[in-house]
Amino acid sequence: MWIKLGSCALVAATVLAGADINGTIAIDRKLSRRNVTASAGMYQRGVAVKLGADDEGDPLAFERSHVVVYLEGGPKSPVSEFPKTSIEQRDRRFVPDLVVIPAGASVSFPNFDPIFHNVFSLSKAKSFDLGNYPQGQSRLVTFPTPGVVAVYCHLHSNMAASIVVAPSRWAVRVDKDGVFTLKDVPAGAFTVVAWHKSAGTFRKTVTIGEKQDAKVSFTLPYAEPTDARHVAHR
Amino acid sequence: MRFATRTFLSSFIPFAVLLAVSFWAIRASVMQTVRDGLRASVRDKEVALAHEQARNEGRNRKLLEGIGENPSLKAGLQLLASEGSATEQARNTVQDQLSEICDSLSFDFIMVSGTRGEPLAAVVRYAGGFAPVNLTRLHPPEQGFFSADGRLYEVTSVPIREADAQVATLTVGGRFDIARFGVPAVLLQKGTVVAAQMRDLAPAQIERALAACSPAADCELRIQDQRYLSLPLGRPAGSGDGNYSLRSLQNVDAASAPLQAVLRKLFLVAGLIALAAMLGISALSSRSIARPLVDVATRLRLSAATGELPEFPEDRRAAQEIRDLTQGFNNAAKAVRESRERLTRAYVQFVGSLAQALDARDAYTAGHSRRVSEYSCAIAKAMNLAQDDLEIIRVGALLHDLGKIGISDLVLQKPGRLTLEETKLIQQHPVIGKRILENVQGLEAYLGIVELHHENLDGTGYPHGLRGEETPLHARIVKVADAYDAMTSDRPYRRGKSHAEAIAVLRSVAGSEMDSQVVEAFALLGDQRKQPAAFTGSQSLRSLSEAVQSEIDRSTPAATADLEVIAGEREAS
Repeated sequence: MWIKLGSCALVAATVLAGADINGTIAIDRKLSRRNVTASAGMYQRGVAVKLGADDEGDPLAFERSHVVVYLEGGPKSPVSEFPKTSIEQRDRRFVPDLVVIPAGASVSFPNFDPIFHNVFSLSKAKSFDLGNYPQGQSRLVTFPTPGVVAVYCHLHSNMAASIVVAPSRWAVRVDKDGVFTLKDVPAGAFTVVAWHKSAGTFRKTVTIGEKQDAKVSFTLPYAEPTDARHVAHR
Repeated sequence: MRFATRTFLSSFIPFAVLLAVSFWAIRASVMQTVRDGLRASVRDKEVALAHEQARNEGRNRKLLEGIGENPSLKAGLQLLASEGSATEQARNTVQDQLSEICDSLSFDFIMVSGTRGEPLAAVVRYAGGFAPVNLTRLHPPEQGFFSADGRLYEVTSVPIREADAQVATLTVGGRFDIARFGVPAVLLQKGTVVAAQMRDLAPAQIERALAACSPAADCELRIQDQRYLSLPLGRPAGSGDGNYSLRSLQNVDAASAPLQAVLRKLFLVAGLIALAAMLGISALSSRSIARPLVDVATRLRLSAATGELPEFPEDRRAAQEIRDLTQGFNNAAKAVRESRERLTRAYVQFVGSLAQALDARDAYTAGHSRRVSEYSCAIAKAMNLAQDDLEIIRVGALLHDLGKIGISDLVLQKPGRLTLEETKLIQQHPVIGKRILENVQGLEAYLGIVELHHENLDGTGYPHGLRGEETPLHARIVKVADAYDAMTSDRPYRRGKSHAEAIAVLRSVAGSEMDSQVVEAFALLGDQRKQPAAFTGSQSLRSLSEAVQSEIDRSTPAATADLEVIAGEREAS
């Protein structure tokens, strides 16, 4: 997990030579309720649209990979440096169902299904309705305000996606193993924020020194593990 | 027909008929009760089922109204409206939504139609999944049954509203399953059977039987001699598609069949047992009634066959009528017996008188027959013979020389030795006596003595030369008595022997001529003679009158007159 020092030297000159924040997210129980496998009936539907299937892996890995980590209080940086982001409508789902972008970035919504979809959001950070559009069309939406934007489809109530609009460019989705890295963070005191749709928002302050990597660990949720069955087996 | 048979039949047949009729009536009424009870329970069940069905439909309707509020579906309808139903993707979108609803709620058919009732999109379930339906030929009712692609669906509709205005109609339903009802049911379309659960009934039969039923009312009908009960099921006919009507059709007879079978068996067994008991009782009673009569009849038949008229024992336990009958018969038999005895005695007396007359022909043989009779009776008594034998011997001995009537006095009373011819003539008298008597009815018993009293044990006697036991005992006794009296009687040419001499002579021929047992019995008796042998004609007459008197003493008063006449005539002559 240690960052190679050589790669740090290549970072853009406008930023003070920074350090990485490495961290881990630990989740010890399921936080969201979802169908890992589709019901048999759904496979028999036999209409034009295939069913998207959830990956059947470790449910805790799923939870870890649905955590977003970003910095608050960091310096502004140009949006253009952030890679292009899109949420596809494929097999009657939003793929991916969670993206993180810095404020001011745009997300495109292309429809790959042979049926109409409709993308809309009523969130405070950004509300929009892209209308119904068929296969092959796409819409682009820009998100200037930080916050969480919940995206739905009028036609398919089971379709949902989340867009986390971070205040800085240091924002990343945690991988399956719960490991994340915020690269080239300038020295200073920051707040590291971890967000999960069901568990909520968690904050930790971290101070970055010159060329000195920091390490932040979260345990979601804060509550101690319990043996109570209705919680443990959620 | 026998009396017993008649008694049996007259007691058994009415009872059997009565029993059969009452059993039949009881069984019929029990069956009717059972059937009525069952019909009532079937009706209750069907009514409860119909209520349940109605309630379920109400609940389903509320659920469906919830589906009508589905925002996704409304959005889909808006999409259709904005894009136009010709757009394949828009229709696909709605069909996809419908499939999802159909799948999650387990419907087999789902359709949305516009405000004018025009179908917008419809999906049906197939074995492998869902498929859109060709809308051009689709005209389902809002509620009720309809058939698509050879399948029968039962559907119901709810409005899809927006802002209190109906924008579309959602019609959903399932494949119609006639077996889902708890009772056998039948679905008719315009009086034609579309679906029925009764495999054993032809649709035509059901249609014919149900044609008479009012669509909304209970109905009882008969198909193939079986009673059926039919009630309208589900929503009242006419509220949906009036062409269809759903009715229960329950076989009441079949439902009660197991109970009926048990009852039938029970009644059969009970009936057979009762019948068997009746049979036994009838047989016993007829037997007890007929038995004494049969006994009487049997005795009468026996009497007719043997000619004897014995007295019947009177059974104190027998019925009064039987006792009267027995008594009457006994009285009649007694009278017949007495008159017959009188008759017989009259013969005997008559013939005895003949014998006396014969005795009287010869002064020397006077009283011979009477004495032989007395000796013979004494011997028989000594030999312990039965009373009947004694009577036979007494009369037989009196008559034993009757045959001498037919022999000339010249020969009979000839003094001195007889010629061979004369001896042969004399020896004819047993046969002559037999001939005289055998023509008289009732004297058969004495023939043996008359015919055979001159036979010898060694076969030298006459007329037949019989040997030993071939001669009856009666005749053998009389023979000894006859010989004794002949020896002890005086004759013109000699004086009679003394008792001892005579016994000695008898003993000398015992075994050869005489029966030694009889001779010994006689010898043991001692001298039986009552008076010295001195005979005159008047004595002879006196002896005759004595004999007659003794007979008179033994006979009934009625017979006395006859005998007195006979005696009088004899004295006058």
